[in-house]
Amino acid sequence: MAAVGLKCPECGSLDIVDDEHYSQPQLVCADCGAVVSEGLLTTTRSEELQGTDVRYSNSTEVNKQPCRNQIKGIHRVRALCRILRLSFVMEETAENYFKQAYEHPSFIRVSLQKKEVLAGCCILATCRQHSWPITMGTMTCLLEANPKLMGVVYQEMVKALKIEAPPTSVIDLLETHCQAYKLSPQHVHEELSESSKDLTKRAAVLLELAADAWLVTGRQPVPILTASIYLAWQSLKPTQTRLKYTLARFCQMAKVAKSSIAPKRVTELKEVLCKLGQELPWLRGSEMTPQTVVQMVDDILNYRLTLLRKALKSHEAALASESELPPSLEDTQPGPRDDAPSLDATASQPDAESAQQPQQDVDLTCTVVMGGLSRAGSGQVSTPSKRSLFEPPSVTHAKIRRVQLPVKEVTGDEEISDSEIDSYIRTPQEMRDYAEAKEALSSSEEEF
Amino acid sequence: MEQNNSLPPFQGLASPQGALTPVMPMFSPMMPYGSGLTPQPVTNTNSLSLLEEQQRQQQQQQQQQASAQQSGMPGGSGQTPQLYHSQTVTTTTLPGNTPLYNTTPLTPMTPITPATPASESSGIVPQLQNIVSTVNLGCKLDLKTIALRARNAEYNPKRFAAVIMRIREPRTTALIFSSGKMVCTGAKSEEQSRLAARKYARVVQKLGFPAKFLDFKIQNMVGSCDVKFPIRLEGLVLTHQQFSSYEPELFPGLIYRMIKPRIVLLIFVSGKVVLTGAKVRGEIYEAFENIYPILKGFRKTT
Repeated sequence: MAAVGLKCPECGSLDIVDDEHYSQPQLVCADCGAVVSEGLLTTTRSEELQGTDVRYSNSTEVNKQPCRNQIKGIHRVRALCRILRLSFVMEETAENYFKQAYEHPSFIRVSLQKKEVLAGCCILATCRQHSWPITMGTMTCLLEANPKLMGVVYQEMVKALKIEAPPTSVIDLLETHCQAYKLSPQHVHEELSESSKDLTKRAAVLLELAADAWLVTGRQPVPILTASIYLAWQSLKPTQTRLKYTLARFCQMAKVAKSSIAPKRVTELKEVLCKLGQELPWLRGSEMTPQTVVQMVDDILNYRLTLLRKALKSHEAALASESELPPSLEDTQPGPRDDAPSLDATASQPDAESAQQPQQDVDLTCTVVMGGLSRAGSGQVSTPSKRSLFEPPSVTHAKIRRVQLPVKEVTGDEEISDSEIDSYIRTPQEMRDYAEAKEALSSSEEEF
Repeated sequence: MEQNNSLPPFQGLASPQGALTPVMPMFSPMMPYGSGLTPQPVTNTNSLSLLEEQQRQQQQQQQQQASAQQSGMPGGSGQTPQLYHSQTVTTTTLPGNTPLYNTTPLTPMTPITPATPASESSGIVPQLQNIVSTVNLGCKLDLKTIALRARNAEYNPKRFAAVIMRIREPRTTALIFSSGKMVCTGAKSEEQSRLAARKYARVVQKLGFPAKFLDFKIQNMVGSCDVKFPIRLEGLVLTHQQFSSYEPELFPGLIYRMIKPRIVLLIFVSGKVVLTGAKVRGEIYEAFENIYPILKGFRKTT
């Protein structure tokens, strides 16, 4: 019996049965044989259980052909490798990484944009493993991608493929960065030109000094590179014409991108050089300002080990004398010089007297090892009040934190007073006001 | 090494590993034969049961030694003299050790905690900065009513599908969802978080809903501290490559993912360290005690 209540239009009987004519379902009257209604001869796509489309990535094909996007991605990897002029081995490695990453479950379904960035990330990882200096910023520019997206995809890829790619050190990046500066005689005036080799050498020494003085750790590498190349260029031939060039003008001349952070790095680097330059014996007590330091950079860099040792000694002396001086005497001393290295506020004023006694042997608690810039001053960490000569700028210019209220001891199960809770609940009058205000706002919005 | 009764906090182990070697004889003459722990005779060649018996023996000895430790008599079990290693036990383990007789956490051969020599504690205690907890109020809520009737609530359904409520003491913020689940953030200690969550539940109760306080759980704890010396992040990333990620172009700090305990540390050049991902306070302290010797190794002063 088919649906209850169906009557055959021919004979009026209620005996309607479900019958099938080949594969076509039909409702037929059992008495007279009239066809009351019939279904479709063929099934619709949604009714079919066999033969529906399966996505290629879900199919069980054993030797899967790479999909179109994967092929495009591999071509992109190859193209980028040719642009960067990487060796054949590196190209192969990058391609392998890309294939592995593409088929990894965390990357197979991401957007096409991410897959494009993935190609660049694979090349970046390969370059790092082969110590080929390249920054993430360069890769981002080549791909014209969002830097944040680049960072995200890179970190995901490294985690997914479990590869170890040590980050490039800043000093390795220097040479390639230097070659971008168009300072050869054919590009600029002869007085302003400089050979890439000399520039790189001088900038490398400046960069090492900056790294030891905590100016490089934790910061963007490119601005500090620009700053060191600028100072190197100025100090190689410190004529008035060169000294008059500001950083912005220098970048314009060398056809290099400007950066807003590089001037700050220049200032910091000059401060470090001032600190060292202060110890030069042939200054004879005159001041070393950031303006005059550029001419002396040559000497400072040639004798930097000695100057560092002296600076440490005078710093120690300053700290020692400062702790001995009674407070009244400190007030009568001449005020701190503004251009003196200002990173150590407590020891600023005794610098004047210590500079005049460079030969005084102070009983050092620290041992200064020859030729080991980084290992000097190990004894200074005994008390927290003693600060070292060079400190990361984030320590010197520490953020003023809001005063931390002392943590109240609570058990978590205390009584909660009703009055406190009532203070968080609106009175009926407030509720009415709020509702009226909301209505007024919504009606005024409707008007627009 | 004399017997050490007090284990150094959060270090590896000082339990008598040396006594429990796999090469130990099955039935030493000193071992009481009929102790009830040796049901099978020696001639049984079933290797699996031999191993089980070994394990049972070792377990029994370890229990004896644990009591011997407390009583102060090392030779109680009559086995080989106990060797107490107080140094260099954090990373090595003898092959064949079964997890049955470990009461203190053993670190396997593959380094999951960076190898550190046992040393005195740092003396610095990380301060907790934020606790995130969740609780189930156990009833469906009408967010519009809550936003209308509560003073300290904001509700913008187009932006986010929850009411944001704040209380003054303890200074916290809660996200209250229409399913009755609530997230409480901003507290500085576990007890404060619990008290704050109870206050929010009480507010919701007063607004007319049958709110309960079910399944309160702390989901995340964030702590921070300062080691007071600058750190060479470039050196740290080279020596601890499998744990650290340092990309100065993306973020100024080094991201250190410690595996045991599972904590993420953000280490900055100024010496400030942020620890996050803990479910209990002890994990933060343990993670800091693990990282402090490593950071001391990278302390450079010029």
